[in-house]
Amino acid sequence: MKRVLINGPEKILIAIILLYSIFVTIVNPSFLSLMTLFDIIRSASCTMVVAMGLLVVMLSGGIDVSFMSVALFGGYVSTLLMMQTGINNIAFPFIVSTLIGIALGLCNALLVHWLRLPAFIITLGTQNLFHGIMTTFISDSTIGSGILPSSLGRFGSAAILQFETESGLMSLTASFVPVAAAVVLTWFIINRTMIGRGVVALGNSEESAVRAGFSPLKIRLFVYAYIGALAGIMGVMYIAQVRAAYPNKLVGDELMVIAGAVIGGTKSTGGQGKVLGVLLGTLVIYLLNSTLILLGLSSSWNDLFVGALLVISVAITSYQTRVKNRKNLIFTE
Amino acid sequence: MKRIKRLIATDKNLAILFAVLLLVMVVFAFVFGDSMYSARNLRSMAYQIPEFGFLALGMMFSFMIGGIDLSVIANANTTGIFAAMILTGNWFPGLSEGTAILLAVCVAMASAVVFGLFNGFMVAKLSANPLIATLGTMTLYTGIGMALTGGRGITGLPEAFTAFGTAEVFGVPLIFLLFLVVAVALAFFLGKTGFGRKLYLFGGNPTAARFSAINNERFTIGVFLVIAILSGISGLIIISRVNSAKVGYGDTYLLQAMLVCVIGGIHPDGGRGKVAGVVCAILLMQVLSSAFTILRLSPYAKKLIWGTILILVMGLNYLSDKQVKKRRMRAMQAKALN
Amino acid sequence: MAEIILRAEHISKAFIGVQALDDVSVEIHKGEIHCLVGENGSGKSTFVKTASGVYTSDAGTIWLNGHSYTKLTPTQAMNEGVQVIYQDLSLFPHMTVAENIAINCLRQTGKKLMNWKEAYRIASEQTKRIGVSLDLNATIMETSMANRQLTAICRALAQDAKILFMDEPTTALTKQEVDNLLKVVVELKAAGLAIVFISHKLDEVFRVADQITIFRDGKKVGDFDPRELDQKKLAYHMTGRDVEYPRYKRSVADDRPVLQVEGLTKKGNYQDISFEVRRGDILGVTGLLGSGRTELALSLFGLNPPDSGKIVFEGQAVSITSPYHAKKTGIALLPEDRSTQGMFPDRSIRENISSAMVDDIVKCGILDLEREKGLATDSVARLKIRTPSIETLIGSLSGGNQQKGVIAKWVATDPKLFIMDTPTVGVDIGSKAEIYEMIQRFASEGMAVIMITDEMEELLANSNRVMVMADQRCVAKLDEEELAQPDVEKRIADMIGSAYRKGTEKR
Repeated sequence: MKRVLINGPEKILIAIILLYSIFVTIVNPSFLSLMTLFDIIRSASCTMVVAMGLLVVMLSGGIDVSFMSVALFGGYVSTLLMMQTGINNIAFPFIVSTLIGIALGLCNALLVHWLRLPAFIITLGTQNLFHGIMTTFISDSTIGSGILPSSLGRFGSAAILQFETESGLMSLTASFVPVAAAVVLTWFIINRTMIGRGVVALGNSEESAVRAGFSPLKIRLFVYAYIGALAGIMGVMYIAQVRAAYPNKLVGDELMVIAGAVIGGTKSTGGQGKVLGVLLGTLVIYLLNSTLILLGLSSSWNDLFVGALLVISVAITSYQTRVKNRKNLIFTE
Repeated sequence: MKRIKRLIATDKNLAILFAVLLLVMVVFAFVFGDSMYSARNLRSMAYQIPEFGFLALGMMFSFMIGGIDLSVIANANTTGIFAAMILTGNWFPGLSEGTAILLAVCVAMASAVVFGLFNGFMVAKLSANPLIATLGTMTLYTGIGMALTGGRGITGLPEAFTAFGTAEVFGVPLIFLLFLVVAVALAFFLGKTGFGRKLYLFGGNPTAARFSAINNERFTIGVFLVIAILSGISGLIIISRVNSAKVGYGDTYLLQAMLVCVIGGIHPDGGRGKVAGVVCAILLMQVLSSAFTILRLSPYAKKLIWGTILILVMGLNYLSDKQVKKRRMRAMQAKALN
Repeated sequence: MAEIILRAEHISKAFIGVQALDDVSVEIHKGEIHCLVGENGSGKSTFVKTASGVYTSDAGTIWLNGHSYTKLTPTQAMNEGVQVIYQDLSLFPHMTVAENIAINCLRQTGKKLMNWKEAYRIASEQTKRIGVSLDLNATIMETSMANRQLTAICRALAQDAKILFMDEPTTALTKQEVDNLLKVVVELKAAGLAIVFISHKLDEVFRVADQITIFRDGKKVGDFDPRELDQKKLAYHMTGRDVEYPRYKRSVADDRPVLQVEGLTKKGNYQDISFEVRRGDILGVTGLLGSGRTELALSLFGLNPPDSGKIVFEGQAVSITSPYHAKKTGIALLPEDRSTQGMFPDRSIRENISSAMVDDIVKCGILDLEREKGLATDSVARLKIRTPSIETLIGSLSGGNQQKGVIAKWVATDPKLFIMDTPTVGVDIGSKAEIYEMIQRFASEGMAVIMITDEMEELLANSNRVMVMADQRCVAKLDEEELAQPDVEKRIADMIGSAYRKGTEKR
């Protein structure tokens, strides 16, 4: 039993989520409702979509901190295009933004593959580059809710499930659809396709992957294009949700997404990570986020809890690896 | 002359960097004239360099051991907040100004040290990946500051303290002199002491360092301690210069600090680099920064330029590395044929 | 004679400054175990890489199943049924055994989707084929070295291998595991595969080989029937001369022990080890990998804390907790893996030599560079390190000179006890003799030496005492008198658990 617990970060996370929920319910019974769940899903939906992309990148042994920049780029530019062309169909921005995301992702992939430097530094560079290009050459003014194409706003407030309760109208946001799609697709790619296994293989060992006949360049192009595409989708979701396109939002929030993935058991060294883990890790963060007020704490305590959770989970997993390595007389740091 | 030639030969990258710095400065002299090199602008540059400079030097140390310390800025801000809490009388009210300042400085440095020790503990004793470990501690340290201040700035520091940030010696800002002294000391430290030698060895091959009787764990903690002290100094300078403490100040420094390290010839895999390179890069950045201010560039345009420079420099490094390798191969082939 | 699967004709291959293969021709037949032997750098690995298409030969032709290739690519080689199991096995540590076995062949089918059912079918079919049972759901991380080796074999078979190259497959295995593996190899041969076995363990070679090809300095010395050869002749062909290293005689008068080890035990590593080493002793420790020898060495150097037992150093009970502590006590270790544990490849000879004594060359907090230079210059001269200057990067030197550099690093600290773990791996013959001479000189000057080795010749030439380890225990200790016996070589081989004699009897 103990073995299973230690080996399964998902199980620990589920336990934490349950225990914490019970605790919050005791302090504030209003927590325990479907409404809370729907609220968390709504607020976490954007993050969960990109987190799926990040999982794929981290499985390949890479990392990306430019995806929020990409999301903003895609979402903002496609909104502008909607306004300029007058196309007021929700499918349009999603397609345009996804394509932009893929293009920017491919840039990242090529740079990471060629420069052979830590992907963190490279994508930090492109994060600024993409954001700078957008704000300098395209536009840096806010598109307010007044002029925002109406289809975007409608998508943001649309619900796929709605029912009346005593406490008011409860609705499950339409953003749940892209989240579910991204989750299922990512799970399918990782576990059921050859390229997905190639991603995991590359993260395990680049040399072995090459010997098995995988092409690291192709896999990198795929993973960074994939996170780019998801970031593009997420950018539109975000603009629809907040009903405005700000040129300075999102960028800077990447680290929370990475935190969610790491808490969910994704290893920065590559080859290890699960869809469920990332979902739970992200969920924990948003659960904390949305319950602090119920506990009587201001939202400024958020970082402290997330940081502590992240530090603890990193400490536990790396210490386990260290003990295992030392036992096998492996002395890498 | 001969000595200069030899110097150039021993460190070509540094020489190139220095040449670029000079060139940029000369070109800017023609383009901007007085607005660049007026005493006022020079002085304002000298005021801006230190806070960022200390952070960049800290980042350099983390690069040298093959890791990235993301927590440097969070550390500086939060220690700054601690100091500001004491200085404004939020904590320990009723102290005399002198005692409060002394206590604030001590608490700030002590908390920086604790933060550094904790980073070091995570990396050395638990073998956590530095990037991920410091992502965690960055969030944690920021969180402490956030929880204390609720994201609001703490203002109204005593004048005696802010005087430190604006003091001048013979027209040169005191904090700039402090930066120079620390940079020279660190250069000496790296080049001439046992600690510095171990840093290069450890960065080159940590496993071999362990097998060479170097106490890796203590050493790693020591390096994170140095980084944290530099962050702590930076935190104090920041609050004394801007007369307030706030979470999130200087977030853009993260990219710039890495940029400065990359330009300064510090390889992120560890084991290579010199303080002089980073200092040159810091000066270069500041000159560019000033030019941007004169040109009234938007923060967005600056982002674009910094991002572009980072990618470009990495690309150029890659190409020149490839060139060097090719030349070495050719030399070996030639030798083999003879 | 059986059908020829691979024929290499007049293959030559040069790298910068080195003729790695010089006009080599080899034939490999169906259903034979063909052993390639030779010293490090003799060209056998280059041959394997050329035959599998990793390297393109400068001249010569490779025939596979009757098709000729002058520029063989890895894909062509694979399609002709050439499979190579490299020493590192190229497995994916966090994937399951089943996936590791099946992934290469599933990828080759070009299907876009991953068929797990098919993967498990392939994996269980191949494990059945070689008659082993592996936990297909375990990840490689959770799998023993021996089972990893078997996984790699299954993977090769799944790709329809006709000819299987195995590069040093037994180095990381225990005796029992080696026996199992060799059994599998013999069965594969019976099933009609050609196996090319590369090993430096001559007893294994004799046990399984149908044909032996010897390489030396990039040239083929010849093909031999194992019945025509014995270990001595084989060694002669490998080195090109009758190697008679001078035998070490202890001449130090001081008989007090430097190190006494009593009942040292570490669960899962070694059990109840007791021995002593005096000044001037060279204690040879031999045994297979996994016999506990390296684990014991690391314990004496503070990197593998023992569970129980006593370590007495110069009459004082000590507990060595770190390499730093070991160095202070006067213990040095030449590690097994030079490139990751021994040296700093990107630093100069000078910095490498002083790397274990950085704190000792500091004067008033400042590095004494003059002293460091002097130290390096002296060491280079004393250990005959051939280098353009003391500022040359150690990584750019030959293996032998690198090893001398690492030895110099520890000799500079003036240790009382020097533990050397396989000191001549990856070292050319010339440097080997020089390193032996050095070790013997150090011992004669009063240093106590523990030398771990699996080369019989090295062991017998350099040690005045021998400890044999097998299955984590010390199975025998031989003194000078016993080492002088003519049949000592065979006795030790038997004790290690080698099936040297069994193998010859079977034939």
